[in-house]
Amino acid sequence: MAATPPRPANRGPRLTPRLFAALVSGKAAGWASRLSGHGGGTSVPGKVARRVEPGILGELLRRRRDPVVAITGSNGKTTTARLTAALLRGEGMGVLTNAAGANLIQGVTSLAVESADLRGRLPAGVLLIEVDEATLPRVQGEIGLGVLLVTDLFRDQLDRYGELYAVANAIDGVASGLASEAMLIVNADDPLVSTIGGEREGRRLTFGFDLGHSTDRITRAADTIRCPVCRSDLRYRAIYLSHLGDYACTNCDFHRPPLDVAVTEIEVVGLTETRMTLRLPGGELRLSVPQAGLHIGYNTAAAVAILVGLEMAMPHAVAALAGVGPAFGRLETIEAGDRQVVLAFAKNPTSFNTTLRTLAGEGEPRNLLLALSNTLVDGEDFAWLWDVDFEASVPAMQRVIVSGTRADELANRLKYAGLDPERIETVDSLPAALDRGLETAPRGARLTVVAGYTPTIEIREAMHQRGWVGRFWETEA
Amino acid sequence: MTNSPAAETPRSLRIAHLYPWLLNVAGDGGNLIALERRAAWRGIATEAVAIGPDESPDLTTFDIVLFHGGQDVEMGIVAADLPTKAPSLREAADAGVVIFAVCAGLQLLGHWYRPAVGEPMEGAHVLDLETVGGSQRFMQHAAAEVSLGGQTETVVGFENHSGLTELGLGVRPFGQVIAGAGNNGTDGAEGAIRDNVIATYLHGPVLPKNPWLADMLLRIALERKYGEPVELALLDDAAEVRAHEVALEKALRNRGQRTALNPARFGG
Repeated sequence: MAATPPRPANRGPRLTPRLFAALVSGKAAGWASRLSGHGGGTSVPGKVARRVEPGILGELLRRRRDPVVAITGSNGKTTTARLTAALLRGEGMGVLTNAAGANLIQGVTSLAVESADLRGRLPAGVLLIEVDEATLPRVQGEIGLGVLLVTDLFRDQLDRYGELYAVANAIDGVASGLASEAMLIVNADDPLVSTIGGEREGRRLTFGFDLGHSTDRITRAADTIRCPVCRSDLRYRAIYLSHLGDYACTNCDFHRPPLDVAVTEIEVVGLTETRMTLRLPGGELRLSVPQAGLHIGYNTAAAVAILVGLEMAMPHAVAALAGVGPAFGRLETIEAGDRQVVLAFAKNPTSFNTTLRTLAGEGEPRNLLLALSNTLVDGEDFAWLWDVDFEASVPAMQRVIVSGTRADELANRLKYAGLDPERIETVDSLPAALDRGLETAPRGARLTVVAGYTPTIEIREAMHQRGWVGRFWETEA
Repeated sequence: MTNSPAAETPRSLRIAHLYPWLLNVAGDGGNLIALERRAAWRGIATEAVAIGPDESPDLTTFDIVLFHGGQDVEMGIVAADLPTKAPSLREAADAGVVIFAVCAGLQLLGHWYRPAVGEPMEGAHVLDLETVGGSQRFMQHAAAEVSLGGQTETVVGFENHSGLTELGLGVRPFGQVIAGAGNNGTDGAEGAIRDNVIATYLHGPVLPKNPWLADMLLRIALERKYGEPVELALLDDAAEVRAHEVALEKALRNRGQRTALNPARFGG
């Protein structure tokens, strides 16, 4: 692999009075938000700054030379960003990255506003941003992307985004608009994603699994299992995770493209580790990440592909990745007095099924707290709960607490999945639900918490107040 | 149930699930789960048969046919295959088979669906209705007042469609809009009914949170099959009723916005 090329120096923005005012008010709003102890100010500074100067994001970055790396897709944005940040830092590169889930335009702007000094200059390093699929076109309209990576496309909050194909088309439009020297990286195992930027002439990398055997089967949660070209059925040589796999069309010549970065071996160890072998253009990499699940293989391959895309050698990859524990709420194990909490954030059938399957390997979840709420981030419609394979996990469940504003839907779904309603208890307040869940779990046992984005933050805050964890925005690597 | 003569011989229902791999986008598979469980809790056996493209079984041999919602692309595939099933669907409808359709299923049971972009799709001509693609997507909690089998109840769900459906004289609305857009955001009609063909725009999925409707479908199907009045045993529906109430509350909070009561005006 090529050595890291020398980079031209960054220049700060032309500082107009309005830009300065936007910068100061955004920063002040962030301080105020943090002082009040609410939400860590992850999107507030951007929101306030944009009110003063709507073009602030573009202005702050316009004359910067260090690359912007954007990660989008339905799943794995946060974990991929954290693994990428670790790889970059491991090679001595500076990284600026947005907080978990702060992936709408305000969150990205917040990152720039908070990182900039009062003259609008950002520190050197890669600007690494996770971007919500729906926000991506806006982000690209404001800043030039050096690398765009698409993790996968699963049905995710359909009520917000309309349909899956529309999302794919929007990302394809963004990909087509990339500068030709920009790198597009796609998950080749996702049929729909593999077509993104297909018409574009420019640099492109693929990643995926080459295991030679299946690690999953098609469930009803699978989303795009038809040929994106001719709409015929796809035949899978191997299915790795939901609809991700090695496929070919039964009708036309559409098939999975060759992989530039491939996971060739993977082993999930308990709830805390995933070991794998990766094949890269320059050779092979054996490593272990202290997080559990097949999806970690995809996230790791994606992160490695980003460094390949930046033409960076990664002699320190193994050590760098060995230190990346779960992001907040990604099967995070938390000591809660004489019990253990395993906290998993789930937002769609695939992330739910992936989590449930990883837990099933350990005979879990026995004692479970499930929480979902209707919020802007989590969406209004939880119909997809009926596509989650709860049926397979019901036999393990001893006691389930449901909470959040949509506890009703969870309780009803579990009842129809075959769980005796006597085992289900509704506790409206999340902190009270956490207490009740811990009470029902025997001493020394585990309470599994699976929740949507907003409830995960609230539950984590409750655990912070009990002194078990740091605040979520303090734990980001 | 114990005193009914029908309890002597175990009863059963055959359910056809049309295009389950294509029309799977909004959790509508929950409707099948609801029918299966609610039948099983009363000792009624069910046999569900998944029916994909190129298969054309005699649908009159089923007691209930489910035809759910999907995305535009999948809907196009289904429309292309529909001629293999349309004659049998019409026979089944004429024979009084319970056909329950949601969203794309509703649109494709009609005469035509004309999307905003692309070729028109011919429906099965089971329901006297037509749909054109609109420029706005109705995505919200919704509720309708529904009269069926001599009873009137509120049915709740989540609508997510941009098609605008107009009913002909050969059908009546499934319900009157209480909150939401219904068929087209303007005339207050929700869904369509003829004989035992019941079509709605309501996802949710709709049957698990409207146990009354699920039971009504089971009852109609059983009465038709066994040719005698059926009283389904009462169940403890606390979880279902709670889910219904929460959805209704959400729908009512939306009332007057993007609805048939106040024509849609929201932006892209």
